[in-house]
Amino acid sequence: MKKISPFLIIILLLIAGILFALTSGQYHISLNTLRDLLVLKLYGGTPGDGLATQAMVLWSVRLPRILMAILAGSALSVSGVVFQGIMRNPLVAPSFLGVTHGAVFGASMAIIFFSTAALSVEVSAFIWAIAAVTIVYLIGGRGINTLTTLVIAGVIVSTFFQAAGSLLKYIADPYEQLPTIVFWMMGGMNNIIWTHVIRASVIISAGVAVIYILRWKLNLMALGDEEALSMGVNVKFLRAILMIFATLLAAASSSSCGIIMWVDLIVAHISRAIVGADHKRLIPFSALLGGFFLLMTDTIVRSIPGGEIPISIITSFIGAPLLGYLLLKQKKQWKE
Amino acid sequence: MIEHEILNVENLNFSYSDRRILNKISFSVKRGEICGLLGPNGCGKTTLLKCINRLLNIESGIIKINGRDISKLSRSEIAGLIAVVPQELHVAFSFSVIQMVLMGGTVRYGFSGIPGRKDYTLAYEILEELNIDHLASRRYNELSGGEKQIVLIARALFQRSEIMLLDEPTSHLDFKRQHLIMEMIKKITKERGLTTLITLHDPNTAGRYCNRLTMLNRGCVCHHGSRDNIFHAESLESTYDMKINIEQTESGRSVVYPAFDLNKK
Repeated sequence: MKKISPFLIIILLLIAGILFALTSGQYHISLNTLRDLLVLKLYGGTPGDGLATQAMVLWSVRLPRILMAILAGSALSVSGVVFQGIMRNPLVAPSFLGVTHGAVFGASMAIIFFSTAALSVEVSAFIWAIAAVTIVYLIGGRGINTLTTLVIAGVIVSTFFQAAGSLLKYIADPYEQLPTIVFWMMGGMNNIIWTHVIRASVIISAGVAVIYILRWKLNLMALGDEEALSMGVNVKFLRAILMIFATLLAAASSSSCGIIMWVDLIVAHISRAIVGADHKRLIPFSALLGGFFLLMTDTIVRSIPGGEIPISIITSFIGAPLLGYLLLKQKKQWKE
Repeated sequence: MIEHEILNVENLNFSYSDRRILNKISFSVKRGEICGLLGPNGCGKTTLLKCINRLLNIESGIIKINGRDISKLSRSEIAGLIAVVPQELHVAFSFSVIQMVLMGGTVRYGFSGIPGRKDYTLAYEILEELNIDHLASRRYNELSGGEKQIVLIARALFQRSEIMLLDEPTSHLDFKRQHLIMEMIKKITKERGLTTLITLHDPNTAGRYCNRLTMLNRGCVCHHGSRDNIFHAESLESTYDMKINIEQTESGRSVVYPAFDLNKK
């Protein structure tokens, strides 16, 4: 039997997932209504009285949120793939390297001290995310790039930025700023509007494109510094470029959706198991799988009766046991 | 410099922080030779290979390849001249064998370049040449030690450099595979007109396959020359700080063994 391409499967799943997400939620929209609304939109018609609310929910609330979930999931997963590659370590990911916490700290800083206008939140999130990952790399990447030191360095920096973030909560204006900051720290997509989606899509597609262009050299980086150097790669320069763009992806996701744990690590892992280590396949596949995974998680989160829960609760409930299982199963391969 | 000398090391010094590891190292290798680096553990063999490949920056001295000072070359220029076969390569992720080989050609793919159809064909040809074409789509991580070593040699060949550096390529292989790998290195060095610099633990292997030897002790070159001139008990004794016997077999080969029971004082 001819093997079905994993890319075909994930694309079909993603399309099915989008249809499912468009129709499900607290406010039910049936497939028939969805079709009618799509036809109306295509021909530029105005929805009648019966469809006005549904049209509003679909185009202004649900669709941007769905797109954001896919974008954020892709960005986090590709970022996870890149960090694992350049650190040659299947146990690292931006959410465990302090990148996410640094980004959220930066976003909170911007909310308190600057404004939420223009790109100040995104820029501040990116700068602090870069600061966080640089510190992790300086602590954990010295000498032999071991698995343990990097993970511990990630814990140190994450904890530090978590504490700094909590401190910001104390000094934030409890009526204006605190709710926004708390939302960021919990992670979620309930406030997503088209502006966020447009900003994030520009940053994320640019980041993924640059990383995809460097896919072959990322393969060499995954072998080790000495190996990559011996084969003519300018390791320091390439690592810096890849780290900047991977951080940009994680920061773009965090500045719109807050802290979302585990997606990066788990999706990168599963993608590697399915399509192998070559980044030519790994980058697009993890982007698709990550988008699908976060879309499904977000759909669950907003469909639960009795009010929405933060998305990180679900991603952690899925991610943590899954990593435990993978550790048990693949222990041999990870031995250094 | 004599014209056919391809590798020239002059007065090389190297230190790790304050500790001098390599001291006034000078030697040269001619084109087409297999030069063995011999010496006890910690004498600086691997460090010397890393200096030659500029993975480590030397303190003073000059390393020339084809008359060009490597300190003035870019990383990709060095990769065009020198290919490295590491002692044992553990890879965290499972690349396929053909991908591993293709990585050797990266300098030819240009900036951010990726291998094309032609590169795949050439890489397959090398796998065929080394009789491992059946492994092409296997994952590198799943191969045996001997197979991994051949894949790394294939990768070095695909790099198409003039000099091949090998760091103890046989140290973790069984007796038969040690000699299969060494025969392979000898054959490709000759057929492709390469120059090979190889660190070895076993003087017998060195005596059998190398035509030039450089013996190191405590970071200094203690003997250097053609195998026929310097492969004798006295030079090996001063290299390894032990009594050594060499016997000639009926077929004319030299066999090295310790001259006393090491357990008795």
